[in-house]
Amino acid sequence: RRFSGRAMALSNYDWAQKLAAFHANPAGFLESTTTQNFVGDLLRALTDEKTGENVKKQILGVIQEFPTWLFTNSQAAERAAESIFSIYSQLPFVPKSVNLKCHLLLSVTTIVIATDHLIRNEKVLKNLMRQLLDAVCDTNDRKYGGGFRPLRAVACDCLREFETCYPGLLSRKLDLLHTLQQKEVTPLHQAYTLLYSQVLKNAIRTLSQSRNVSDGAIREMLTRNEEIKWKVMAKAQDLSAVTITSGLSSLPSTVETKELKSSVTLLLEESFLLTPVSQAALLRELIQVVLLVRSLPPATFRSQLLRLFGTMDICLLHTMLHMKATFTDSLFTVEDENFLLKRLVCMAHHPLLSNPLKLFYMDCLLHFPENRPINSNLEENLPILFTPKMAACLFPTLFNDSSTMLSCLNLVSLMCVENAEEDRGLAEIFDYLMSLYKLVDVNGSRERTVTFFRAVYIFVGYFHNNEMFMVELTQYMVKLYQRHCTLAPHMINLINSTQNLLEDAKWPVSLAEALQKMIVELPSKQLSPHKLMWHLRVLTRVAKETTILQKVTVQFLLNVVRVSDMCRSGEWRVGNAVLAVCRSILHHQNLEPIFSDLADLLQHIHLQFQDVDIQDHAHFYYALLTCLSHEKLARIVAEGTGNCSRAKTRSLSSLMSESTGHSISVLPIKHPVLKLIPVPEEHSPNLTAAGDTSELDYEEDYLEKYLGQFCIVGFASTIVMKFHLTFAERVDPEHHRVYAIHLHFDLRNSHYEPLSDLYVPCLFFNGEPHVFSLPFKPRLPFPITLYTSAIFTREDGSTCCSQLEPLDVGFSRLFLTLPVPTNWPSKIKASLFDQLWTSLEQADSSQSALSRFCFQTAQRPLSELVTLHFQKYVVSQKSDPESYKIFLFLPPQTNILFSVEQLDRMAKVDIVTDNWKLLPFINSYLIDITSQK
Amino acid sequence: MSVRAVWLLGLEKGETSVKLSRRYPTVEKRARIFNGESYTKVPEDKVFQNALLAELGMTDLDKNFVEHRDSCCRINKTSVYEIAIGDGVLWPVLVLTQNANLYACLPLVEQSLTPHPSLMSLRGISSAFALLTGLMTFLNMAQRNESEIATKVAQLPAMLMHACPLGTPTDTDFGLMQTLSGSLVPQNAISSVQAQKQPAWKPGVYKGKPQVNVCVTEQITSMQYDKKDVIDMWQEYGTVSCKCDLEGIMPTVTVSLNLPINGSPLQDILVHPCVSAVDSTILTFNSVDDMDDSLFNGPYKFPFTPPLDVFKLCYYTSQVPIPPILGSYQMKEEEQILKIAVNLKLHESVKNGFEYCEAHIPFFNRGPIVHAECKVSHGQLEVSREKSLLVWLIGQKFPKSLEVSLTGMVIFPANHSAQPTDPFCTGLTAYVKLYFRIPDYTLTGCYVDQHSVQVYSSAKPRIITSKELLSSEYYIWNSKGDAPMAIKF
Repeated sequence: RRFSGRAMALSNYDWAQKLAAFHANPAGFLESTTTQNFVGDLLRALTDEKTGENVKKQILGVIQEFPTWLFTNSQAAERAAESIFSIYSQLPFVPKSVNLKCHLLLSVTTIVIATDHLIRNEKVLKNLMRQLLDAVCDTNDRKYGGGFRPLRAVACDCLREFETCYPGLLSRKLDLLHTLQQKEVTPLHQAYTLLYSQVLKNAIRTLSQSRNVSDGAIREMLTRNEEIKWKVMAKAQDLSAVTITSGLSSLPSTVETKELKSSVTLLLEESFLLTPVSQAALLRELIQVVLLVRSLPPATFRSQLLRLFGTMDICLLHTMLHMKATFTDSLFTVEDENFLLKRLVCMAHHPLLSNPLKLFYMDCLLHFPENRPINSNLEENLPILFTPKMAACLFPTLFNDSSTMLSCLNLVSLMCVENAEEDRGLAEIFDYLMSLYKLVDVNGSRERTVTFFRAVYIFVGYFHNNEMFMVELTQYMVKLYQRHCTLAPHMINLINSTQNLLEDAKWPVSLAEALQKMIVELPSKQLSPHKLMWHLRVLTRVAKETTILQKVTVQFLLNVVRVSDMCRSGEWRVGNAVLAVCRSILHHQNLEPIFSDLADLLQHIHLQFQDVDIQDHAHFYYALLTCLSHEKLARIVAEGTGNCSRAKTRSLSSLMSESTGHSISVLPIKHPVLKLIPVPEEHSPNLTAAGDTSELDYEEDYLEKYLGQFCIVGFASTIVMKFHLTFAERVDPEHHRVYAIHLHFDLRNSHYEPLSDLYVPCLFFNGEPHVFSLPFKPRLPFPITLYTSAIFTREDGSTCCSQLEPLDVGFSRLFLTLPVPTNWPSKIKASLFDQLWTSLEQADSSQSALSRFCFQTAQRPLSELVTLHFQKYVVSQKSDPESYKIFLFLPPQTNILFSVEQLDRMAKVDIVTDNWKLLPFINSYLIDITSQK
Repeated sequence: MSVRAVWLLGLEKGETSVKLSRRYPTVEKRARIFNGESYTKVPEDKVFQNALLAELGMTDLDKNFVEHRDSCCRINKTSVYEIAIGDGVLWPVLVLTQNANLYACLPLVEQSLTPHPSLMSLRGISSAFALLTGLMTFLNMAQRNESEIATKVAQLPAMLMHACPLGTPTDTDFGLMQTLSGSLVPQNAISSVQAQKQPAWKPGVYKGKPQVNVCVTEQITSMQYDKKDVIDMWQEYGTVSCKCDLEGIMPTVTVSLNLPINGSPLQDILVHPCVSAVDSTILTFNSVDDMDDSLFNGPYKFPFTPPLDVFKLCYYTSQVPIPPILGSYQMKEEEQILKIAVNLKLHESVKNGFEYCEAHIPFFNRGPIVHAECKVSHGQLEVSREKSLLVWLIGQKFPKSLEVSLTGMVIFPANHSAQPTDPFCTGLTAYVKLYFRIPDYTLTGCYVDQHSVQVYSSAKPRIITSKELLSSEYYIWNSKGDAPMAIKF
């Protein structure tokens, strides 16, 4: 089963472009081709000598980053792995090839681990492991020389990734890995050390989980050197690190650990030779080993700790904190704890460290690993030994960036709350807030304003119970709003957010009330429409608070509509904003005390406002107010769902009133409501020559005639397929009658012309399915998937949208019978077949391709297969030897010719096509129909 | 210790582009297993870029208030962000910014993401920091023009293949990788008898004249107000940089920092990972305690094996009793005319020998200077080309009195364009900023004695030591106006 194609060779530049396009958007890229074709191209280019080395590296880079996109089944993965191996083994061990070799190893490793398609394919696995072990065994460059260090490093990394993703895989090789780790003296010892320590930890972990551990188990384990057991990979694995909370039983103390101890000690002694990030990795593995083996004391780390205490490196400091969390007071004394805490404080404000680092250390302070932890560490807490003096070091300044400012403010506030007796601290925090306030008041850039409101939010969160400061804060906030009413959205957001944070706190309400008081006392004549809009937004929010009396608000509005020229100018937005306040009042408030004022207000707007929509709404509200009980009224004007939500969502004012978060609602329905069923083609008898053939000249060039037809625009370009639209399984009864169905089709690729939408007036659950046809116009006849979405109206009037199950349109559905005049007899078709065959065979086109496919016919005679699948397309047939000529036409202008012949118990299909890109589909189609039972 | 993906985004001329991205599918597979229901896959570049910019508040810049960006309850206390992608969220995305670049990295979290575990408990977070910091240092090393950066960015995929081929970084010193031409090709062949393991962070060996160079650089920041009720602030910090060109696989060096008897003790010492041991007493001196450390005046000993490149041996801070230059600035506005007076006094204990000393007096929100009439007691005065800044060149030495002064007036146009603008400096809020460098001097008195540098190596090296004091953010605020104050407990 082989096929050959003549792909166009791309230049290196084209390749770079193509790969960059794929890298940027794999899904989008694969829409314009098929995965199979693209992978085919990639592998061909890799094996092609003409492809530049850089392009090859880029291709392998794409394979390393997107294996799950590219290798969607095990055949594809296996084929890729095998061709990469063959390239790997063909490349000689010369320094020039080392980089490419690295990429090749990384690629196969990534394919195997990331896709899961090859974990049962021992052939590939064994081959890969042999290559990896072969590379790592070359300690100290003896075999391949120093030029091959990158390859050894990569091989170690690949093995380590295997061990990480399949823990225990290499535990039978511990002896070998230990020897290699000890022998290596080049800087690569780091890679060997990391690999060995990882395998060691996993092996001990497996051992600790087994029931009967003999006293010599560890020694036996350390000296093991056996074949790898692949079965480990097929099981689901516990990949998580061992921590104190893992609840793993450590190994009994009777187990002999002398060898292990010396091994761990040696690894620790040499840890200094590793880069900080690798040191951290090593220490993390060894911490787990010590946790699992009771006879290894945590004090083993003591000497390293003394070296690390002063470090400026984040990885090492982080590891130290992890050690502290793991071993608590069995490794860290109280003095150590205090010392580490001070180090952390000093690093959190060290002028020579970057802001992100300082913020990280500040966060570590709030989740400090205590020697005696009293809470889960998920929430922010100050360390027990944290002192006000330490907090003072972290007090924010105005020169900090906003993250640092807020982070520091949060920390010192937390400190202040915990040391409630110290009022001085609170006063200073408040002063700080006020200095931020001044900056916003003078000139508030957006960022500074946002930071100020966040600082207020933090302050309120901690000190909302301190009445004195909260009253003062309210005054300042009102003053700020008075001067800058564009801050209205910030104020509303502050009220909402603090209310969410502190459910029953009084402050948000008192701020709202204070803002209301300030606004209603404004002289209504001097209000510019611009300012008024902001005030109305605030008042709308204030009206949501049931405890705030609204009489003043209503009177203020009444005054405004009477005095200003608002009604005369009839600006819809202003009118709507006033009505928004009214609706909020109608919804949330006790209307008794304000009934007459509110009625006056609505009446006035209804009569005076120069906009019909506003008039109508005012009248509507007026009618609601005067005719309905308060309960019903509140339900009608409420937002969200309710009996009358339909009426509400259709009202324009309610759509527009709160500009954020509202839109015309279309209910998305997760479970598909509708489905499409393709209607099978009606079986028409084989077309026979019906017309008058006497006029036909058999000598004429029918090929030219045939091809000439395609000059007519739109000739044979469409495949019409019939579908039934019906209900999906298990549909909710509320969807049993749907109306005004709007189907939108999406092919999600560019090989076809887009399909136009379809409208179906109605569909009933027990009724007939709706029958319709879709005209598919391929640009390239690739099999496709039809994605359909439907928008429809339910009986209750709500509009819903739902996705239909995607529908695959198979390759064979794209075959059409030969598009020639019906009066052409089969003899001419047969001769056309031969002419086309010869011309394609000889053509020097980059598009055409020859291929061959063979299959067994023992199960079923060839004739049966042909009748079943190709009856319409046979242009000539012979017996003895049994042979057929099959002419498949695919729009817009693709021909596939099969010459099928019986040979003993086999059948041979010679294939010619004028589009090589179809070969994979032809191949899988033939496999499919010939392997059917 | 693994990361799922790394990105480098460029923000140039108002446009953002993904300059580099690297995904690690094997780590991604682990993430899928660990995160379970809370897993969100790494999206394509464009989607990530847009979501990141939205999260960082870099979108909708023309809008006054956008809830998802500006809400007061969205407080980021660290550089780790939660980024909304479709229905899910990517967390923890570490984002560092430098120049016009955003560096982002998504470390693996080995558990469910809901609720978010603390950052400290994530193994990968510090690796992510190290990786991004490494990339940042590398791209920042010689940032001159765009093409040079593009060249460096083009080198990164190859470097990542060595330093982080499968998502677990093993090295983050990209500068060194470049020095060794992006590969681990050894500088030396391994002799069959070599028993000493070569440090992984020192993958080559120096050949040539042996030399050790140690430099102490101190920087001073200051905020001076010249007001009775406001406390002036200053902060001193130092860096010891070394470059050791020594033969052999593991030469060792000991550098001792010395202080004069009355010198200010060094605090908050942070050392480079190549330092093999530190006396724990010198680490206990810090800026947190009120500890009496004045009795200790060194030496502070740092034994280490030097890396190949220049490196920062240690950082420290110190609480010096006085700022080197004490100043006052008075600015008053009288009918379009600004009257200014600046006085500067060099403390008598400070070395009077500058490489340069300049006082910059900027004027914001007032438009270009129309006329300036100023008298300086010492040095020269210049108006900058942009006409918004007076530059007072004080020169190499203060006069004998150690005091210099400037008085005069500056006139601005009545109807002005207000360029340049500054949100801080409106009205009488104004400052003078000092720039100076004093070579061969440190404020703490800290120095490295050439003879105290011990080198254990085959050949005797040349030892060069130096020290300097640099100004950094040295402000003197107008005492007649409001100044942003840095309050302390």
